[in-house]
Amino acid sequence: MLKTIEGKSAEPSLRNRLRFFLHYGDKPWNGLLILMAVLVILLISAIGLLLWRDSGASRAAFGWHFLIPTLDASWNPVFDRYQSWPFIYGTLLTSLASLVIAVPVSISAAVFLAELSPEWLRLPLSWMIELLAAIPSVVYGLWGIFVFLPVVVTPFGQFLGETLVVVPVLGEFFKGPIPVSGSSRLAAGLILAIMIIPTIAAVSRDVFMAIPGSQREASLALGATRWETIWKVLIPYGLSGILGAIILGLGRALGETMAVTMVIGNSIEGSLSLLRPGYTMSSVIANQFAEAVSTLHVEALVEIGLILFVMTLILNIIARLLVWRVARQTPGQVRV
Amino acid sequence: MTTPSAAIPSLQKSYISVSATYNRRKITNALLLGLTGFLTLITLLPLIWIIGYVIYKGGRYINLEFFTQLPRPMGMPGGGVLHAIEGTLVLTTLGSIFAIPPGVLAGLYVAYHPNTWLGILVRFGTDVLSGVPSIVVGLFGYALIVKQQGHYSALAGGIALAILMVPIIIRTTEEMIKLVPRSLREGSLALGAPEWKTALSVTLPAASNGIITGILLGVARASGETAPLLFTALGNENYEIGRIIKGSIAAHQGPLQILGKILEQPVDSLPLTLWKYAQQPFPERINQAWAVALVLMILVLLTNIVARSWVQYRTRKLLGK
Amino acid sequence: MDIKTTEKEIFIRKPSSESKQPIFSRNGSSNVKNQTKIQVKDLSLYYGTFKALGEINIDIPAHKITAIIGPSGCGKSTLLRSINRMTDLVPGARAEGEIYLDDWNLLSPGADVVEARRRIGMVFQRPNPFPKSIYENVAYGPRLYGIRRGHELDEIVQRSLRQAALWGEVKDKLYQSGLAISGGQQQRLCIARALAVEPEVILMDEPASALDPIATLKIEELMQTLKESYTIVIVTHNMQEAARVSEYTAFLMIESPETRMGTIVEFGKTDQIFTRPKHQQTEDYITGRFG
Repeated sequence: MLKTIEGKSAEPSLRNRLRFFLHYGDKPWNGLLILMAVLVILLISAIGLLLWRDSGASRAAFGWHFLIPTLDASWNPVFDRYQSWPFIYGTLLTSLASLVIAVPVSISAAVFLAELSPEWLRLPLSWMIELLAAIPSVVYGLWGIFVFLPVVVTPFGQFLGETLVVVPVLGEFFKGPIPVSGSSRLAAGLILAIMIIPTIAAVSRDVFMAIPGSQREASLALGATRWETIWKVLIPYGLSGILGAIILGLGRALGETMAVTMVIGNSIEGSLSLLRPGYTMSSVIANQFAEAVSTLHVEALVEIGLILFVMTLILNIIARLLVWRVARQTPGQVRV
Repeated sequence: MTTPSAAIPSLQKSYISVSATYNRRKITNALLLGLTGFLTLITLLPLIWIIGYVIYKGGRYINLEFFTQLPRPMGMPGGGVLHAIEGTLVLTTLGSIFAIPPGVLAGLYVAYHPNTWLGILVRFGTDVLSGVPSIVVGLFGYALIVKQQGHYSALAGGIALAILMVPIIIRTTEEMIKLVPRSLREGSLALGAPEWKTALSVTLPAASNGIITGILLGVARASGETAPLLFTALGNENYEIGRIIKGSIAAHQGPLQILGKILEQPVDSLPLTLWKYAQQPFPERINQAWAVALVLMILVLLTNIVARSWVQYRTRKLLGK
Repeated sequence: MDIKTTEKEIFIRKPSSESKQPIFSRNGSSNVKNQTKIQVKDLSLYYGTFKALGEINIDIPAHKITAIIGPSGCGKSTLLRSINRMTDLVPGARAEGEIYLDDWNLLSPGADVVEARRRIGMVFQRPNPFPKSIYENVAYGPRLYGIRRGHELDEIVQRSLRQAALWGEVKDKLYQSGLAISGGQQQRLCIARALAVEPEVILMDEPASALDPIATLKIEELMQTLKESYTIVIVTHNMQEAARVSEYTAFLMIESPETRMGTIVEFGKTDQIFTRPKHQQTEDYITGRFG
């Protein structure tokens, strides 16, 4: 009789096989872990692949013309002619507009949290800013439509329309008038700014906190003021990380759907202006997908989704690389 | 060393004049630091405004009926959002079921093998996945499931939500497992227990609190999402699980078929309902939209606060602070 | 309030410093020798409720090197840092007593910390150059004071690097990163950086402890040169270094294990401290009976 050292039978009966497996099931276990890990990567590829497949007809029909900026854009379900530039423009314009406001505010908050805040205030304040990110997009949209737009956006838009429209190049973007409801790209930009502030602020704050204290000491010991230390030593030191934070925020803004679609007016009017209603890539999909009738229409929308996917993918990769670079050159966790 | 004054150029000359820049530096410092604090306060303004307004507006229209009734036809007063509540429950449960196993296991892998190619890739991929716009995930869900099945369903919605939850779960699992002391795992292995048993009976239970909070955070996110459900779950104002079950039992259908009935229909969720109601011209619907917003916000914010403070607490304990 | 009045009140500075006259005294002019540059009077430092330093009294002489020695954890670094008020950076830190730089009390309520730190430079244990070019590291301080013009800045940078005995080694690579040089060179870069703002005192917190012996030697030689133009205070845990380098020594020790409060046991000329210490504790420490 075959016996193992412990005296247990080593004959290949079912019971022994089971016992063997239960005690030595490491290979399948590790295999399972690896499988799940690979699944994540597969998922990203699967998303890309499916989007590619389901936009085939549209890509075949329009090729690169689908993307190219043109004054002759049309999005015409009746004649099945589609060109995505108005939506790309809308997405870019609203996202960049949101950055203009969000970046100074977020970096200030990050600086405050990391450098100036008293110890007891730091955590509660961080939390409150992060809570902003937890509010669902639709709630932002609802509040946007009924509160933010009438109270802030419409008056602000009117003001901007009157003052900035005379400035040479910039004025093009402020040709009004802003609709009475306030539904406009400006509205979308402002709400997006509020929504991405937590992202940029949290990552930037982590970047600042990862900067070694010896840098601050060196600067202050030379007789620099706190502001000079922040502006001339800390920000340059953490610049790539801050840039990564901004790009992360931009990525979020690009993909934001519900709040945008509720306040942007969803109109394909040809204006360049911030004050007029428009569309973004995500809002046109949200708006038109369920009712799209022709296959080409559907596939054109999927193609827009594909473009959106690729854009946010690239931005995310760049952003993560930048943030990882700062995290590796300085000790400490950079949490996102 | 060289003689002092000869080699050192112009030691006698002073370049630094303090008074020339004194005021400017002081004022700049005070001003800009003040501006920083001011802008930080500004970030809180929308938070307080939104929460306050939602409580104010939504609080008025919450009543028992709201939670227990299906919607009345448009234009008629009363009715509730039971369909959305149940829908949200079904969807987040489904999402969790699909997201937890791969999420926890992948998180385990990354925690154990952080420096392998696959580990680094997965970590990176998780970050990237969390940045995919939710509407794109919805399109994916549509292409993957709805198109194949030919109809919208809770199943498709659940899978879409799962995709959104997975990165959060992987991240939290990884961080929590890293906090479990190595000695615990090594002790178990030294006793002869295989890796999988160690993981299941020692490591995971030790990290369980943190992993559960990660799941909670994922649920919080998923329950607030609308875009991925637009083309997967679609919405269904007649969804009521109680009735479905009763109907199926009356028709002598087995549990599997009941499950099918629950999962294979289009279904609403709180955010979806909010989105739809917000666009309708009837004041009752708008009021209900605010009420839904309140419920949704309480749900999401509370879950977030509870989950995060639990993580903080556990992290502190494990690090011995 | 015009600027000059404000300055008088805050700095109690003699008018001559404002008219770009030499603020250093040349080697040989005797009116600055034998004067106290920094007088620490009854200094007590608290971190919250913990009293880290108790009633410290020392007079740091001008143009000499003063060493602060003592067993680890006795508060040497704390004492050094309280002189240029770097201890303020620790939340909950509080100082009582007086610290006079010439005739200006640095601990008085309205005292300008920024100016105090300019006049009292500091070099840290581990070199901490900024991730900028060598030139920009040294130019950092002067730029804060509005010196923008190329040739003035160049002169200051060159002068500071020469004073720090680094000029020869880096003059051809001024625009390389300050981190791309050796540890010893980085430390001298930090010294040059501190010198660029024209301080009067240089505090050194174990400046050579992270360096190899050759680099250490260079720093010690440098100190001898620098003391002719500046007052130097150095903290060191290396007694031989203190004996080699300094003219005056302060011996700091914890009063008792319960209080963990640092006090000055003895302060005097280095020769005397090391050969004829007045206190038993000093002798014990120096002969290596403990610490």
